[in-house]
Amino acid sequence: MSSTEMLRSRASRRWLLKAAAGAGVAVSGLNFGPGYSRRLRASAQGDSPLAGQTIDMTILGIAGWPPSRLGVDMATELFKPYAQENYGYDVNFAFEEAPFESLFQKAATSLQSGSAQYNIIISDSQWLGALAEPGWIVQLNDIIAENPDLDIKFTDTAQQAYRVYPDGSDQLWGFPQEGDTIALFVRQDLFSDQAERDAYMAAHDGEDLPQTFEEWEEVDIDRYERIISFFTRPDENLYGTALQWSKVYDFVSCYSYPFMWSNGGEAWDAATGQVEGILDTEVNATGLARSKKFLDYAPPGATNYGIAEEVDVFTSGTIATCLQWSALGPQMRNQNAEGGVADEARPVSPDDVLIVAPPGFRQADDSLNRVYTLGGQPWVLNAFNDEAHLQVAIDYMKFWYLPETQLEFSRRGGNTAVEAVLNDPAYEDLQPHFRSYKYMITRSRDFWHDPNYAEMLAAQQEAWGAYMTDVIDDPMLALQYTACQQQGILYDAERSEIEPSEACADISI
Amino acid sequence: MAQIGTFPDHPALKGIAPPRGRLAGLRSIEGSRAFPALLLAPIMIFFLVWNVVPLVWLLGVSFYKYKVTSSREPAYVGFDNFTDLWRSSEIWGLIGRTLTFMVTSVGLATLLGVLLGLLFWGSGKMPGRRLALTLLFTPMVLPPIAVGTFYRLIYEPSFGVVNHFTQAVIGRRFDFLGDKNLAFGATIAVDVWMWTPFMILMTLAALGSVPKAELEAAEVDRLPWLKRLWYIVLPHGKFILMLGILLRTIDAFKTTDLPYLMTNGGPGNLTEFVGLSLYRTGFEAFQMGDASALAVVTLLVAIAFTSIYLYVLNYRETRAQLT
Repeated sequence: MSSTEMLRSRASRRWLLKAAAGAGVAVSGLNFGPGYSRRLRASAQGDSPLAGQTIDMTILGIAGWPPSRLGVDMATELFKPYAQENYGYDVNFAFEEAPFESLFQKAATSLQSGSAQYNIIISDSQWLGALAEPGWIVQLNDIIAENPDLDIKFTDTAQQAYRVYPDGSDQLWGFPQEGDTIALFVRQDLFSDQAERDAYMAAHDGEDLPQTFEEWEEVDIDRYERIISFFTRPDENLYGTALQWSKVYDFVSCYSYPFMWSNGGEAWDAATGQVEGILDTEVNATGLARSKKFLDYAPPGATNYGIAEEVDVFTSGTIATCLQWSALGPQMRNQNAEGGVADEARPVSPDDVLIVAPPGFRQADDSLNRVYTLGGQPWVLNAFNDEAHLQVAIDYMKFWYLPETQLEFSRRGGNTAVEAVLNDPAYEDLQPHFRSYKYMITRSRDFWHDPNYAEMLAAQQEAWGAYMTDVIDDPMLALQYTACQQQGILYDAERSEIEPSEACADISI
Repeated sequence: MAQIGTFPDHPALKGIAPPRGRLAGLRSIEGSRAFPALLLAPIMIFFLVWNVVPLVWLLGVSFYKYKVTSSREPAYVGFDNFTDLWRSSEIWGLIGRTLTFMVTSVGLATLLGVLLGLLFWGSGKMPGRRLALTLLFTPMVLPPIAVGTFYRLIYEPSFGVVNHFTQAVIGRRFDFLGDKNLAFGATIAVDVWMWTPFMILMTLAALGSVPKAELEAAEVDRLPWLKRLWYIVLPHGKFILMLGILLRTIDAFKTTDLPYLMTNGGPGNLTEFVGLSLYRTGFEAFQMGDASALAVVTLLVAIAFTSIYLYVLNYRETRAQLT
């Protein structure tokens, strides 16, 4: 039986519906009681050579990032008793963490010394190349061949972004820990307010504010700008939107790319490593300028906005809409684990928030196109693990992709990348952000998996950040500088045969 | 007459048996030529292991193209990393920004430190002086990571306390850390706030080194305040004061933590200094060869500063010797 069939048979629609119905009544409705272990026993692989041993595992993940935390919490709460019962060994999990911008540094400095300090790492997808090239992580093809349970059908986007390096090859290096896409979070209490609707209609020739997911699906970027302009009222300390414009890590890149890609722009040619002439185009310059234009509808200081700042301004009621990672659905709705209000002091409560697809971009044929940046992270396994730790890591991966585990992960707010779970009709009802996530997963893409990712990103963040903060005025200069720098980085690293052009010598910011 | 230390003859030690065994052995070691070397050995080993070896290693790596995340072996490239630095247009901007930051920050901290130091020196009988001094020194002992985080919040445009006042006083809020015209100054202000206490401390130490007799003589002679400062205080206190300036200069040139936490080098690269760039090259891009070359340059600059300060400090003596 293939893994897909296995998943489908286990995560039967009826089972999922039943679980989802439970979750609908109360978010904690899915009960992992004594029956849970019995249900899963069948999937355990018989007697483990580790039976009777105690294994200490450390997972390195992203600080303050709920899906990372889920991966560890579930390891302790669910996998530990599961392993004891099914494999006969005792396993303890510890969590090491670092923020997005320094996680790779923390991992790399440890892995460089050949250390197995972090047995499992929740990496960012763009780091696959940097982790795989020096041989720091385990190539999974053989392991998957030996463990058919791990031959799971993920969404195509997840497969390419979180697993494969080099791009287009059949070499697998990661398992999707969580998928993620950009979603639009809307203050539905404001949008459904009749006085607001009337005022908006009066100002816009009868055009109403969108009220449902379907209506938002039809919203293009121009209409979105009209809407956020309407809600920008500094005297009331209310603003229309927030994106991530910060130069920290990949923030401004992730939230500017959609303005380029959705209109046909590209970041580079992955096959030849060509950046110049592909990134520094008019369509991309227009996109970057449009992204900056939205600062007019954002609160003061928005050029410093990253993930946490957005959660703060949205839940404090300062902005009417927000483009944010879907994985933060519960946090953006100010929702606690039980579905209630997490922070009573904040004016936004879960019922006030609608989560929809971000705006589309009108094409020449009048259709709407959405190509947004993919978020999410893969699990990768430390290549310096000894046999025991590697075996536990593999066992945990098998457990992680059991339909029951994936459903529990989803119930707690995590975005699954398992196609069978994602495609079940009941899936979207588990969490309010799942509909948008599922809608956008096929409309999202990742960028470079090159080992030189960090350097390429640093150059880009610096230039795009400089443009967003008015240090430079010309979006094309920001793109040309980025393209020249990245071309040089790739050429120096012998990842591309294309040298930076002579014009690059005169381009600086 | 018996000297203290000549053990057997000292009157206080009459009746006590002379040393034997281990003590006698120690005495013989103490007298040996190797004794000073033996005493210095632990610190020399520490210095060798933690300073010399890494320095030599750093120097060696600076001649290699070595990227940690690459599968390629480190390759010897001679002076390429240094010539790349020399040719790079960014490095000059980087050094220019760093020097501007350093001169402004150290200059302001020194000026404020000397003024406040003099104020405290002359206020020996002021009630609450000790408490005031303790509070004044607080910024210096706070970890930079805390200072950077605090100030990021203090400067925050929406809820930061600074903007609360600007809003109340002039009806405007400022994006201190995101505005290209304000970020550099805002970073300098925090550095000055943090390190002025150090210069106060050095000033007080410098003033404390002035012989009281000379000050009393100046008092008797009714020497004007400025002349007292120039002819009596400065000649005695200049070494300590210059040492403070030297330490601050080297430290300011290496500043990394504050801009990293407050602005992340932004907006654009306006607050990206040598230290931050070094960190990024080494631990974000993992280009160890390039980072080592930049570190060597930074070290040379620090040595150059030290030499300049020492030269300035000894200028009068050197000139006197020459003439």
